[in-house]
Parts: sequence; C-alpha cells; structure tokens
Amino acid sequence: MTSHSSASVSRRTFVLASAALLARPAFSAFPAHASAVREYRLTAAPGRVPLVGGEHPETAVWAYNGAVPGPEIRAWQGERLRIVVENKLDEETTVHWHGIRVPNAMDGVPHLTQKPIAPGASFTYEFDVPDAGTYWYHPHQRSFEQVGRGLYGPLIVEEREPIAVDREFYWVLDDWRLQADAQISGDFGNMMDMSHNGRIGNTATVNGRIRETFEVRRGERIRLRLINAANARTFALDFAGHAPRVIAFDGQPVEPHAPAGGRIVLGAAMRADLVIDMTGKPGERFRVSDTFYRGLEYRLLDLVYAAEPLRDSPPDAPVALAPNTMPEPDLKAAERHEVAFGGGMMGGMMTAMMGGRRMDMREMMQNGMAWTVNGVAATGHMLDPFLTLARGRSYLLAMHNDTAWHHPIHLHGHAFRVISRNGQPTRYREWQDTVLLSPRERAEIAFVADNAGDWMFHCHILEHQAAGMMGVIRVA
Amino acid sequence: MSATYYGRRHLIRTVLAGAVLAVVATPSAVTAGEKPAATLYKNPQCGCCEEYATYLRQHGYRVTVKPTHDLSLINRQHDVPENLEGCHITLIDGYVVEGHVPVKTIDRLLTERPAIKGISLPGMPQGSPGMTGAKTAPFTIYEITNGTPRIYAVE
Repeated sequence: MTSHSSASVSRRTFVLASAALLARPAFSAFPAHASAVREYRLTAAPGRVPLVGGEHPETAVWAYNGAVPGPEIRAWQGERLRIVVENKLDEETTVHWHGIRVPNAMDGVPHLTQKPIAPGASFTYEFDVPDAGTYWYHPHQRSFEQVGRGLYGPLIVEEREPIAVDREFYWVLDDWRLQADAQISGDFGNMMDMSHNGRIGNTATVNGRIRETFEVRRGERIRLRLINAANARTFALDFAGHAPRVIAFDGQPVEPHAPAGGRIVLGAAMRADLVIDMTGKPGERFRVSDTFYRGLEYRLLDLVYAAEPLRDSPPDAPVALAPNTMPEPDLKAAERHEVAFGGGMMGGMMTAMMGGRRMDMREMMQNGMAWTVNGVAATGHMLDPFLTLARGRSYLLAMHNDTAWHHPIHLHGHAFRVISRNGQPTRYREWQDTVLLSPRERAEIAFVADNAGDWMFHCHILEHQAAGMMGVIRVA
Repeated sequence: MSATYYGRRHLIRTVLAGAVLAVVATPSAVTAGEKPAATLYKNPQCGCCEEYATYLRQHGYRVTVKPTHDLSLINRQHDVPENLEGCHITLIDGYVVEGHVPVKTIDRLLTERPAIKGISLPGMPQGSPGMTGAKTAPFTIYEITNGTPRIYAVE
C-alpha cells in the first residue's frame, strides 16, 4: 500500500523519501493496484522546512503533510483517486487538481464548485484520472498566499504502456521571496506585484530545496517531469551541453521535439515532460540555468556526472507517448469566440467594469484590481459566465493579450489544442491546459466542451487572478 | 554570459546586501556641476523605468539600473508606505526617490538635505519624466517619513 505510506510522510522522513523518489526507476517501485480506489490523505497546516539549508534557519511555511512540495500523488491512467483533505490552517481552503479533467464538483474552486473547507474541517475528493501525465495540486482559495507559502504537490498519472527510460523524476520548481532570516516576506497581495508581473521571488527551489547539484551517469536516458508551482515566475531552463526533447506539455503528449531556442519555457502552473540523454563524460559538470528574465539569469543547479558510466551511449528506443483521451475538436464546425485580456501597468489608459460599475485604471487600483477579461475585472469566484458553451460542441477561442505582460491562461476541466499564435499555425498543435501568452500576443485554442459545469478561465499568475483576470465558462 | 549568472544563495544575499548598502551609504557632498551616483531598481520587464533612467542621465546623474523582482521587499526595507510606492526605486545620496520625480525637485532635496527618508511622486502621472502623454495636472511630490506624508513640492 505505497499510497498510504507516501500520503503520511513526516518532515523528518521527507528528505529520505524524496531522495528515493528521485532515484526511483520508472516502472518497478510503483505497483499496480488491486483495489478500485487509490487513497491519499492531505493535511494542510503550518510547518517548517529547510528551504535554504546550510547555516540558515528553517523557513515557516504552509504545507501538505509537513512537506514542500506535498506528497506525490500517483496513479495509473484510468484509476480512481480518493483524497481526503483536512484543513489545519486558520483560514478556509480548497484543493484544485490542476490539469486533471475531473467532474465539476471535484474541481476545488471555492463557492463555484464547492463550499470552502473551513478550518478544522475535511473534504473528500474522489475522481477518475482519464489521462496519463504530469499534473499538480494546489489550493484555489486565496491561492496567491496559500500557494505562495508552500501548499502544492505533484500528481503523476502513469501511462499503461510507459516509454523506456533508465530513471524518471520530477522537479517541482518554485521561487520564494525570502528575507535575510530565511523567512517568507509577508507582503502578499501588494499592488506592486498585483499590477506588474506578480510575486516573483528571490530564491528558486527544486522540490522544496536549494539544490547545488544533480547526479547523472553517462549513457543513461532520463525522463524529467518539470512542474512550475511558482505564483508568477516564468522559468526558461537551458541545459548546457545537452539536447532535451519535449515529449509532453501540461501532461499531454506532444510529438517529441527540441524546444524552440533550446530552452524550455514554462509559465506559472505549466508542466513539461523531457527526455534527456546523458552524453557527458564521467566527472563533467553542466549548468542548468533559468534565463527567462534578462539581466536576472541564474544557475538553477549543475548536472554532475558520476565516475561510473551506465553505458557508453544512451539507448535508441522511441520516446513518443501514446495519445490521451481528449476528443478531437472539429475546427470546421467550431464556434468562434474572442477573449481579450487587458489592464496592468503600461497597458494604456483603459476602463473596466467592476462590480457592475465602470471604472478607470486609477479607481480600479484603489480597489485592488488591475486586470480584465473581456473588459471585466472579476471580484471573487462566484461569477456569471462570460461564455456559455453547448456540451459536446467544438469551440475556438481567439485570445488577445492586450497588455504589456505575460499571462499563462488556464482553463479548468478541459485540455485544449493551441492551434495558432499571432496568426501562424503552431507546428505541434500542442494540447495544454495553460497557455502562455506573451505581451500583445494572440493565440487560438480549440477544444470540445465535453465536461459539464462552471469552469474557471484565468491567468495563473496568482496576483493577476486575484486582481481581476479571471472569468467563468459554462458548459451546459 | 557567466557574469550574469548568480548562485541562488547569492540571489538572497544580493537583495539584502543591496538594501543594507543603500541605508549605510555615506552621503557625498554635491559639488557644482557634479551629480551623485544613483541606483535605480526596476522590474526587469518595465519600460517606463528605463526612460526615467535616461532622463536622469540627461540631467547629469550617473545612473546604474538594476533589474530586480524585489521592489516590494526593497520598499518595505526602506519603510516606504504602499500608497507612496512608485513603479521603480532610485537610491541617491542617502535618499529614496520613488517614481518619476522631476530632477528639479531631486536637486532641491540633495541641496536642502532634510531629515526625511526620501520623496515620492506616486501614481505615474501622465507627462512626468519617463512617462508618455502630456502633463494634465500639477505633480504633487510627497515626503517619505515615518509619520503622515506631507507635501514636499508641487511642480
């Protein structure tokens, strides 16, 4: 019953547990499950973790089961998960299973899909996992602070027929705004972050630690699942001396390819699965850098080659993943809708509807709002839908980023194909659940609205979401 | 390229060391024709701030621009109230200058050297130095102090 033991990891055992996970072979340690439901238990509570390490004190965080990231939730494709969430925070919470196409009542959006979990209360989520891939979980209640203080964890759905690799592991990427005493700066929700590019931290962690090195062996093939759990930071990872291939975005298989410009760009909440062949020599070191923000590039960690090679050169097996189960949108019959994202600094003088009243940018900001979807700045999750879609029909959303900032836009309950950017067809027509829009960029996404309910459609820079950049799409 | 990469431990120290240095920076006497050095902290993706740096340089200041994600943290370390935060922070000769303050007022600040933390032109008004558009109203520049903000200058 590995699921039960991994669900109750204490902080002391987490270090060992995570080291074991990192070294876990792809398909030996995770058993097929005899029973119908795979069970986990998550307790959200304050805790302390050694984020920085060395001589620095532990950092006070909010964590699931005392660990950052929270425990790995893992299932085989097609299985059912039952996850009991207990709230030991001093405020309400929920859990959203990011990217999993769950029934609406299990989506974890406060008020919209469920009553928030009160302090001291529990809620049981139960749903099937229809698609294999790399997902994650996090609160949707005051997420700009709850996620920012450490509430998140990986959710991995294994393929029934996985690709052959020597090792598989995940890196949950995050950044933290720490003070000199290694404690989290309490300035959540300030207008500077809300109106610019969100809360971007000064300390990047991989699986909840500052890691200097990651050991690899010559000749091995590694599957690396990247999860960007940061509130706002976009990561652009450059693997010096290596040629990673992307095999999935947001959990969804994509034709294996080298990423554009050689770096893997992940907006907040996005994931990528990489296959990396280790072609260095024993003893060599290679830098993995995050190069997204000009002038603020930094070394994430070094790949360090062990003295003993695994083999002389990596295997030559195919790395393409089997498709998932999303229905294919019918583009000829698809109904088209425009969605414009507005607001923010350097966005030009604009007005917006907020709480049924038209305001200019200055008045919006005095009310803690800075962003809009189709001209409306949303307050809270209980919203009238800005789009109502007929269940089973194909839709094309033409999205315009009318701002000077990046926005990773997330649709709940569905995955969509990104079919064009700035009028040019995308080469891989990638399935995603979160699409990163560059400043002034346009993108078209297409999907079948096959999941009934009211679904959030929002920027996953959590400060942008809190400051108005969200809406509800109804599938009925 | 390697010069622009930092270790992560270094990232933490960079921010905090920068802030501490700014607090203890010894004010230097401003002699005629020579303006003091200024450090402008800005969001790496913000454009108006670069325009403001250019404006300061045109008026004789030696400006070092430092992109950072820690603007909110730096403001807190300098006790700048949220309603007086600018979109960038200029540390100059022992003072904090928030936002697009015209040089006339900065020059006056550095000449008079009042016992305040600094000055702010909040709200990024149209037509202020580095901002686009035409000036539509007088600029009200506030003092940054521990007490109630007072007006330092109107221009």
